[in-house]
Amino acid sequence: MRRRSAAHSDLITRVNVTPIIDVALVLVTILLVTAPMLTAADLPVNLPQARTREADDERNVSITRTVGGELAVDRQHVVWADLRPTLQSVLARAGNQDVLVVVRADSGVPYGEIRALLAEARAAGAQRLAVATRQRIEAQP
Amino acid sequence: MKRPRRERGAEGIFDVNMTPLIDVSLVLVVILMVATPMALQSSIALGTARPAGHQGAHEQPLERIKIAVLSDDSVQVGREIVSRADLPRVLGPLLSSSASREVVVRCADGVAHGVFVDVLDQARALGASRLTVVGH
Repeated sequence: MRRRSAAHSDLITRVNVTPIIDVALVLVTILLVTAPMLTAADLPVNLPQARTREADDERNVSITRTVGGELAVDRQHVVWADLRPTLQSVLARAGNQDVLVVVRADSGVPYGEIRALLAEARAAGAQRLAVATRQRIEAQP
Repeated sequence: MKRPRRERGAEGIFDVNMTPLIDVSLVLVVILMVATPMALQSSIALGTARPAGHQGAHEQPLERIKIAVLSDDSVQVGREIVSRADLPRVLGPLLSSSASREVVVRCADGVAHGVFVDVLDQARALGASRLTVVGH
């Protein structure tokens, strides 16, 4: 009995929390890294494809426009009448004076709507404008 | 002395514990799957049109290449109207001979945004240094 209890005392009887801590730390790290990228609204937008790319890593303010007419500034859903005041308040925040304003519009939206969006963004004080694209991956011959 | 040691040895776990590694790998795979579409997003910068009166009498008039997207398939480069597929053939030589490489793009309101971006993309790929969009 004594020998058996000695063997029992060597066994690990506690729950092993190492894996859960590992996974939790990895999740925290990845969330910290990806949080600045998650500035766009979760509206369904089929971005136009393009081969060239620029300003992809830059912090930006996004205006999202779906083919159905829904609008969002960053993650905040807005209606057309509120677009300019919302954008003005976002651009008035510290560090946003010269921020890039990216128009994320569906490729099926008529250009007239995009022109109006760009005009609103300029009227709200946007200094630098860009249109969002999706990287076209061409198959190598 | 030998007996208890053998018993304890038989009860111990000798395999490498793969569970944490597999956990972390699966989490990484899921996060990469979610983050890939965001990483593939890019953008094309648009310049602001300078007003015509901005060019003073002392300044040299800016040499700009003018493109007008007339419809989903026809594009006007300078005075020549070409199909969108022929744009590189016409715009390429103009850009290579241009010093400023500045392109001014106009687009009809009914044209799809995807077509407009495709024209910008082609101009950028052909070497345009600055893309300016002007309204009608």
